[in-house]
Amino acid sequence: MSITNLINDWSRYRKGAEEGGFHEYEHQWAMVVDLNKCIGCNACSVACYAENNLPVVGETRFAKNQGMHWMRVERFWDEPDLQPYVATASNSLDAWIEGNPPAPRSALKPSNPAPIAEGMLERDGKGFNEQFGFHGTKSEYQDFGGSFLPMMCQQCHSATCEPVCPVAATYHTPDGLNAQVYNRCIGSRYCSNNCPYRLRFFNFWSYYEDAWPEPLHMQLNPDLTVRDKGVMEKCTFCVHRIRVVKDEARMENRKVKDGEFATACVQSCPTSALVFGDKMDPDSQVAKLWNAHQVKQGPYKQTKENKELRGYRILEGLNTDPSVMYLERVREV
Amino acid sequence: MSGGYCFLFRQASSVAPVPVTWAHRGRGVHYFVTPLLSRVITFALVLASLLVLALPAWAENGATTKGVPNVVPPKGEHAGKHVEQPIEFPHDIHTKVNGINCMYCHTYARRSKVAGIPPTSKCMGCHSMIATDKPRIKQLTEYWEKREPVKWKKVHDVPDFVHFTHEKHLKRFVFDNEGMSVDRVSEVCAFCHGDLKQMTVANKVKPLNMGFCVRCHEANKGPFDCWKCHK
Repeated sequence: MSITNLINDWSRYRKGAEEGGFHEYEHQWAMVVDLNKCIGCNACSVACYAENNLPVVGETRFAKNQGMHWMRVERFWDEPDLQPYVATASNSLDAWIEGNPPAPRSALKPSNPAPIAEGMLERDGKGFNEQFGFHGTKSEYQDFGGSFLPMMCQQCHSATCEPVCPVAATYHTPDGLNAQVYNRCIGSRYCSNNCPYRLRFFNFWSYYEDAWPEPLHMQLNPDLTVRDKGVMEKCTFCVHRIRVVKDEARMENRKVKDGEFATACVQSCPTSALVFGDKMDPDSQVAKLWNAHQVKQGPYKQTKENKELRGYRILEGLNTDPSVMYLERVREV
Repeated sequence: MSGGYCFLFRQASSVAPVPVTWAHRGRGVHYFVTPLLSRVITFALVLASLLVLALPAWAENGATTKGVPNVVPPKGEHAGKHVEQPIEFPHDIHTKVNGINCMYCHTYARRSKVAGIPPTSKCMGCHSMIATDKPRIKQLTEYWEKREPVKWKKVHDVPDFVHFTHEKHLKRFVFDNEGMSVDRVSEVCAFCHGDLKQMTVANKVKPLNMGFCVRCHEANKGPFDCWKCHK
């Protein structure tokens, strides 16, 4: 009975995209990240730490790639030529109102650098300039031209981590989530090595022993396990929140409404760069965005009618079929 | 009864005396009763205990023997240790003698994850008037007047990595179950908590481990997704 149960369910859930994939989903939780709106403030990352009982591992362990950030904001300095935009008499708002629109930003490239205003390079002892803030020329990093990429588990529908698990601790749920069952995990770390996004994190130490000293243990979220040494973990799309709303909806004999809840990162995003929802629900914001950007679940290469649309999925050419769509960042030129 | 160890007589109950084994080594007293007499006494005791066990079922007009409709009750036994509570709360008097519904006191069972231990105010709602001269009620009144909560100890504790909701189970087994009435909810509670009508303070008599849960989920077509329960 149980063995047949296992075998049937195994082959049901372990279908790759080339076999048509798994189609008996109840929900397909998905996310949209608008990189135009992301300001790289890391609020999502902080919220994730607070929500999911993530330990702060310390500098030395972090340097060894043992950080436990389920949600991280990657930073790229992709436009080193970009210069600060400084309001002058010629490009001020007043000038614009009078009919002289400001020069395009491309005009501010080094061949035609922006005029450095008087006193802009002066700083006090702490590197602060009263008029121009921290922006200057002597920083460790460049002041302009950075872009940010929030990365959480992509909840792939044909995930590379799932088939390599020797004990089926990671599997696909009928909710379209890539689950990680801590009680089953034996810590082989195959999944982490097979994840092209590097979004699985291993507990190399018993972090709970020192990560939350005496009064801080009160902040632990009771809806989640505090993981011990030897267990792999990753972003769950805040499955404990999903569980609560699904329970509530079930008690009231209705479907889960769009916007009824959000994951911790989505909730904390100050610019609403992150959108979360059920892609199976055609009226949800997420489903509408995916449709609007003509990104489809399933194919490893998107065939868009309109090439100008910004939607894309990270490393989708690997046929991982991720559930997170990113909207490309567009610079003002 | 050959070769086994009979707990009633603290003696190896085979016809021929058996060598001392680990089971009764160091127990001190050995009652040596003739085999024939021991069998007569055993028979009499078994008969008496059967009578005692069957009596309450008769008294309740066979209500417990019908069973909950559309449900295959979970199987499994567990010998839980007796938990010493601050006041020896008699479940049997409240449920069996007085016939109070479980959800009168454990009121959150039908609307939240946990069943809830009633606050002292709930106890005092009745016991400011009823049975005030009894020693246990005097103890309770003392707590009430000192404005201190009674520190009840948890008996049925599932591990932290398990998500269990009372409300969904009650919905399936009681409220959405055709032919089941709320008056008989104690039979559903008994699936996991044992028959509280036979206990004073609650004792853990069901294993409440994963096998116990999964066997019931399999028999009653509950969800089989790991993440439904594991968190």
